[in-house]
Amino acid sequence: MIDLYGISYGIGEWFMGIVAVILDFFGQWITPFQGLADWLMRVETLNLLAILIEVMIMVVFVSIINLFIIMWIERKMYGRLQDRRGIMLPLPFRKIQKGTGFLQNLADGMKLIQKENITPKNADKWMFDIAPAIIVTTSVLVFVAIPFSETFVVAELEGGLIFILAILAIAPFAVLLAGWASNNKYTLIGGMRGAAQMLAYEIPLILATVGVILLAGSLNPVEIVLAQQRTIWYGIPLILALLVFLVAIVAELERLPFDIPEAEAELVEGWLTEYSGMRFGLVFVAKWVRTYAGAALITVLFLGGWSGPILPGEIWFIIKSYIVFIIIVWTTWSLPRTRIDQVLNIGWKRLIPLALLSIVIAAVFKWVGWF
Amino acid sequence: MVEWDLFFFIALSVVEIVASILVIASKKLVHSAFWLAITLITMGGIYILLRSEFIAVVQILVYAGAVPVLFLFGIMLTRREIMEEPNEQE
Repeated sequence: MIDLYGISYGIGEWFMGIVAVILDFFGQWITPFQGLADWLMRVETLNLLAILIEVMIMVVFVSIINLFIIMWIERKMYGRLQDRRGIMLPLPFRKIQKGTGFLQNLADGMKLIQKENITPKNADKWMFDIAPAIIVTTSVLVFVAIPFSETFVVAELEGGLIFILAILAIAPFAVLLAGWASNNKYTLIGGMRGAAQMLAYEIPLILATVGVILLAGSLNPVEIVLAQQRTIWYGIPLILALLVFLVAIVAELERLPFDIPEAEAELVEGWLTEYSGMRFGLVFVAKWVRTYAGAALITVLFLGGWSGPILPGEIWFIIKSYIVFIIIVWTTWSLPRTRIDQVLNIGWKRLIPLALLSIVIAAVFKWVGWF
Repeated sequence: MVEWDLFFFIALSVVEIVASILVIASKKLVHSAFWLAITLITMGGIYILLRSEFIAVVQILVYAGAVPVLFLFGIMLTRREIMEEPNEQE
């Protein structure tokens, strides 16, 4: 098993040791450097640095390695679902069209970086810039509280689950701001639809987790997984809550059965229309990060997190979350788009009663004494 | 020894006071809503400093997540020209 904190602490100690020796050497002539070297080798500084390195590892994993795999899975898979080969990046020294296309997304990213960052003339420039920043920050911040294993977690918060849901709840605000600031009727309609939909689906999303909280008796994601190891994966007794959560998270991510905020046939690209260059790329990638966050959340809450035989916990967690991600992609590209009134009807009239019913089921399980 | 609690308290308070002044000073209503969200989130930060993480998280979930969105809906469903300066062309 990997002890992330130990590794980070080791790296920090090693790195700071080198820096301190160099500073100490110069400290012979310049006195303040001596104090700086002493400060760098203190336990508090090293602890802080270890936490920073831990966060860096998580961010690099989530935003680079994981992201490339996710984007590759999605693009390849919907290519196959539409009876195409999907992305293929042919090798430069070969003439034949052959290859997995794993680096295609890197090439697309390079293309987006080269493009001009256009701000519309009548846009509210300041808001236009800050809205993507809010979306990207909140998307990455979710991973602070998601445990990949018992030790592979950045911050083990007491109310980690509520923290995740709270961070996910900030996004509609940024979507509305982005839609308004672009000063374009399509973005405004897209932003309004997006915020209405996200706001509506947050309620079943949160209600569906209540059953899990009841059975586990804790808000801490690590505790929830440990409770599942003691009894059974909560996806089996609470299958109803799992389904509600899955539908709600797909709607929250604006994916295809519920993608009316950016319905291409009506609204160009929804609230993203006016964004160009890497700003568009950032928001677009943040959507994938959020999708993975949703898959990871389902894994933690319903599928037993990192529990599994033989392989290390982190590998199990990643396998399970990728399977959930593939199921989300599968539903996304095989279902037609719903209308706005249908979306809101499903959210308010179907999912919320079902989520309440799942709470009752969980309460009955608890009352009978099975958990 | 720096007192980090005090440092973060002062930083958060400064942000919060400036943001709450900007809520009433901004010319555009959407900007006011944005500054309101900043005020509420920094308030959550101060709850964390007071060692009550649960209230901080609920503060962000309920206030920062829902209230500004409701404000924005209210603003956008009413006429847009209420607070803005009139256009020269009209």
